[in-house]
Amino acid sequence: MTDLLSVTVSGLLLAGLYATMSYGLTMIYGVMKIINLSQAGTFMLAAYVAFTLFTYLGLDPMLSLVIIVPAFFLFGMLLQRLFVSRVPLANTPTLPSLLLLFGIWLVLQNLAYMIWTGDDRSILTSYTYSTINFLGLQLSFTRVMVFLIGLLALFALQAFLTRTYTGKAIRALTQNRPACMLVGIDVDRIAMLAFGIGVAFDALAGTLMSLLYAFTPAFGNTFMLKAFVIIVLGGLQNYYGVAIGALVLALVESWAVMFMPASLQPAIAYTLLVIVLVLMPRGITGLLEGRRTV
Amino acid sequence: MIGLASAENTPRPVTLLLILVIIALVSLPFVGVNPYILHLGFLTFLYVSLSSAWNILGGFAGQVSFGYSAFFGLGAYATGILWNAGVNPYLTLPVGALLALAFSLLVGYPCFRLSGPYFAIATIGIGEAMRVIMLNLGDITGGASGLTMPTTGGFSKTPSYLSALLLMIAVLLLVNYIRNSRIGLALLAIKEDQDAAEALGVPTIRYKLLAHGLGAIIVGIAGGLYAQYMFYIEPNNVFGFNLSISLLLMPVIGGLATLWGPVLGAIVFVVIQDTLMASFPHLHLLTYGLLLVVIVLFEPDGLMGLFGRLARFLRSRYAEGQARAPSGEQSL
Repeated sequence: MTDLLSVTVSGLLLAGLYATMSYGLTMIYGVMKIINLSQAGTFMLAAYVAFTLFTYLGLDPMLSLVIIVPAFFLFGMLLQRLFVSRVPLANTPTLPSLLLLFGIWLVLQNLAYMIWTGDDRSILTSYTYSTINFLGLQLSFTRVMVFLIGLLALFALQAFLTRTYTGKAIRALTQNRPACMLVGIDVDRIAMLAFGIGVAFDALAGTLMSLLYAFTPAFGNTFMLKAFVIIVLGGLQNYYGVAIGALVLALVESWAVMFMPASLQPAIAYTLLVIVLVLMPRGITGLLEGRRTV
Repeated sequence: MIGLASAENTPRPVTLLLILVIIALVSLPFVGVNPYILHLGFLTFLYVSLSSAWNILGGFAGQVSFGYSAFFGLGAYATGILWNAGVNPYLTLPVGALLALAFSLLVGYPCFRLSGPYFAIATIGIGEAMRVIMLNLGDITGGASGLTMPTTGGFSKTPSYLSALLLMIAVLLLVNYIRNSRIGLALLAIKEDQDAAEALGVPTIRYKLLAHGLGAIIVGIAGGLYAQYMFYIEPNNVFGFNLSISLLLMPVIGGLATLWGPVLGAIVFVVIQDTLMASFPHLHLLTYGLLLVVIVLFEPDGLMGLFGRLARFLRSRYAEGQARAPSGEQSL
C-alpha cells in the first residue's frame, strides 16, 4: 500500500515535468499547426547550457533559468524568422515543415556532439541526493523543486494567455487564423512570439531534466515523443488537456514499473503514442467534451 | 541524368551504358581490386537498395516514415539467429523478408488511417518501441551485448559484394517498373491528394500497404545481408533511430519519387560518411542536417531537381548563344 502511494506521488511529481515539456509543443502546434520536431534538440541544448554554466561558473541550474529561458526565447524567434516562416502553413502539419524541423534537430544534435562530445553528462548539485519527508514519504528534493517550478511556469503561462494582448492573440490564432487576419492581428509577429515562447518552455523543461537525468547529445528524443503522446491525449491544442495528458502518462508509467522491468518503461510511451493516435485522435478531452475547444 | 529520370522508355544507348556499368561492377572483385573498394561497393549497393526502398512509400506516395530500422533489424536478426542455428545464411534471407513484410502489414493496417504527418510521428514510436523491446529480449537478441555469428565461411568480401549488387539491380528494376505502372500513378495520386484519389476509386490503403510491404521486403533482405557481412549485430545498431534517419535522408536529399534520386543520395551519403567519419564522426550527420534544411527551403526536388535546374539553365544559355550568334555576325 505504501508502495502504491509512493509510486503515485512520484507519478504526480513527474506529471509536473511532463506538462512543462508539452506546453511548448502545444503552443507551436496551436498557432502554426506545426509539429516541432526540433524540440528534442532544445531539451538537449538547454541541458548542456545548464551543465556548462554549472561546471564553469558554478551557477545553480535553477538560478541559470533566469539566463537560459530568455536566451532560448530569442533563439526560438530567430529559428522561426530564419527558417520556419519560410515553409507554407496549412490547417494540418505539412511534411516540409516536419522535415525542416527534423533537419534543425539533426544540426543541433551533431553540433552538440562536436562541442561537448558524446560522453554521458550529469549535474550533481549539493542537494541532488537530499530528500524531504512528506506524509511519511521520502521525496527527492530535486523532484519536488522541479514540480514546483513547473507549476509556477504553468500559472505564469495561464496568466499570460488570459491577461495580455499577445496571449489573447495567441489563443485567437489557435482557433481561427483567417479571422485573426480580418481583425488586424499581426499574425506573423504573433507566430514568431509564440514560437519563441514555445522554445523557451522547452528550454525550461530541458534545464529541469538536466537536474534529474544524465544526458548525451542524443538526449531528448524519448521526451519529445512523450510530449507528443501528451498533447495528442490532450486534444493537440488544449492547454488543460495537456495537463490531463501529462497526468495520465506519468501515472501509467509510474504504475507500470510495479508490473514490468524498468528497462521496458520507455516502450510504454512509444506504444501508447501509436494506440492513442490510431484510436483517439482527438484525445481524452475530445472524448469528454465531444467537441474541441481551447 | 535528366534523360534517365524522365524517360518513359529508357533509350537504347542508356540501357547499353547501364549494362556496361553492371558488367564492370560484377568483374571488379575478379580483377584483384583492393578489398576496401569492395567494402565501399558493398555499402553503396546496400544503401542504394535501402534508399530506393524508402522511396517507394516515402517518395512516390509521400508517406514519410521514421521507422524502417524495424524491418532492417528483423531481417538482420532472422539471419543471425537462424545462421547460428546452422541454416545456410542465404536461405535465411526470405525468412527475414517475410518477417519484415508481416510486420509492415501489422503496423501499416492501423497507421495508414492517419494522415501523413501523424503517420510519420507514429512510426517514430513504432521504431523506438521495437528497439526497446528487442533490447529487453536478451535471450533471443543477446540484449545490448548483441549477437555474434559463425565466421567459418571465411572473410572474403566477394559473396557479400555480389549479393548486394544483385539486390540493388533487382530493386532498381522494381522501382523502374513501379514508376511506369499503374501502381506508381496510384501512389503519386495519394501523394497529391489522398481524399481525391480515394474519391476517384484508388484503394489508397491497399496501395500504401503494398508500397510499405515492398519496401519492408527489400529492407529486410538488406538487413540479412548486413548481418552476413558484419558477423555481429546489436539492437541499438540494427534497430537504431540513426539507421531510420539515414534511410530517410538519402532519398530526400537525392530527389524523391525519381529512379535515380535515391541512388544519387546514397552515393553522396557513402562518400560523405567515408571521408568524414574517421576524422569527424558527427560532421557527416551535421552536413546532412544542413543539406536537409537547405533542400526543404530551396530545392524540394533534391539533387535531381538541382541538376534539372542546372541542365535547363545550360540549355537555355546554349539556345541563347545559338540565337545570338547569327545576329552578332550581322551587326559586324
